[in-house]
Amino acid sequence: MSKFYMAYSMLVAGGLAVSSLTGWSPFKPYEKVDGVPKSVRNNPGAYRSHYAGHARYFGGK
Amino acid sequence: MNPAAPRKGFVSKPKALNCPNCGSAIELRALGAAAGVICSYCSSTIDATNPQLQIIGTWKAAMTIEPAIPLGSRGKLKGVLWEAIGFQQRGIEVEGTNYFWREYVLWNPYQGFRYLSEYDNHWNFVTPLQVLPAPSMSGLVYANESYRSFQTARAYTWFVIGEFPWMVQVGEAVDTADYVKPPKMLSSETTENEVAWSQGEYIPGTEIWQAFQLKTPCPPPIGVYSNQPSPYVGRVRSSWLFYGAMCALLLCLMVLFATLAPNKMVLDKNYVVNPATTVEKSFVSDLFTLDGRNDNVEVRITADISNQWVYFSMALINEETGQAYDFGREVSFYSGSDSDGSWTEGGKTDDVLLPNIPGGKYYLRIEPETDPARAGGLKPRIPFRVRIVRGRPFYFRYFLGMFLLLIPPIWTSIRAGSFESKRWSESDPSGASSSNASSEDDE
Repeated sequence: MSKFYMAYSMLVAGGLAVSSLTGWSPFKPYEKVDGVPKSVRNNPGAYRSHYAGHARYFGGK
Repeated sequence: MNPAAPRKGFVSKPKALNCPNCGSAIELRALGAAAGVICSYCSSTIDATNPQLQIIGTWKAAMTIEPAIPLGSRGKLKGVLWEAIGFQQRGIEVEGTNYFWREYVLWNPYQGFRYLSEYDNHWNFVTPLQVLPAPSMSGLVYANESYRSFQTARAYTWFVIGEFPWMVQVGEAVDTADYVKPPKMLSSETTENEVAWSQGEYIPGTEIWQAFQLKTPCPPPIGVYSNQPSPYVGRVRSSWLFYGAMCALLLCLMVLFATLAPNKMVLDKNYVVNPATTVEKSFVSDLFTLDGRNDNVEVRITADISNQWVYFSMALINEETGQAYDFGREVSFYSGSDSDGSWTEGGKTDDVLLPNIPGGKYYLRIEPETDPARAGGLKPRIPFRVRIVRGRPFYFRYFLGMFLLLIPPIWTSIRAGSFESKRWSESDPSGASSSNASSEDDE
């Protein structure tokens, strides 16, 4: 077994441990937006999500 | 005399003779041991056991070859000082193509004769056998080791110079058979009168060059030789064993972090979508707290729908910092029946895992949308439920890790298999089939 495989395995296991601890993931299903006004809490219409109005699938046979 | 005992270098000097055919000087290095001497000038084979130096035969050289190890040069191999005293090139013909290899006769007055064979810069140190190997199902057994049949051929001597322990001549034919157990091999040479067995052990060319202090650069080996030790010996087995150990470690980590994960429900609320409304559809949830360090957040939506879709444009907003995590989810469920029978499509529940969300006070902004055409139906209002869980155990990453760890052992196995395929591609068909039955790596 090569040193490379040992180092690679430690890297994978370490990465998994860190991602488990921090909840980190390379796949992010969200868009991060800074500076949302506090008024949104009382007036939800003051902010539009990045995903608002996206096209949707009309399913069914 | 104990052959294993260390010895000092021998100091015997060659005896000078004259070739009875051409009169040129011949050095007889293994006087009393060599049977045949080949004059390097006129290519006569001389009977060295006869005091009259009788000529056995004279041949015309079809080729002239300069031995890589000059005759007369000495080198220490396996702890013994050897002198190169003879050289021959042999060849076999396979499907109209000649394949040549070279053999050197090594001499030590205390140890006797040994040989070095070379093919495509692959070298073997060859020792004559005193005990016959025993036949087995797949080849031979010698010294409790099994050798697999590799190749049989009829070999001819094409070129020869120096001293030999037999009356060698150009054109001499022997039937050869090779059996391998890398890095060793057993070979038999059969003539009309006798069968000679020898054991070869693979030796790197650099070791030969170092031992005989050759000035020329050592040429690299070409291809894979029959008894060349695989560089992957033991690596496949150990990499798979290590992979198993790493999988066990990852499973332990998975259980550990699943146990430590907060997995805490921070919001569980029911809401209603009213497609018929003409006012602002968006609304916000109650405030909830995400504790501690960065961790994931699972948002799960369950909508009571049938043959309908609802799209949720959402934002998880930190009330203190104003940072928002925008995402969109769709819940759609369709069902019915046709000539194929009943069918369903989609589902009434959808969830998403938002990774790496810092702690703090948050609320969820929800903006539902649905098919306006259904606003006038029997059930225009669509109830749905939103649940938010902090620190959900997430197992997929561990299986992804196991997959990533799988790549090196698979790669090593493929390389090892390729090495063995190259080795056995040169063998007889019977030898090739026996190679598939076992793996060299696991020995």
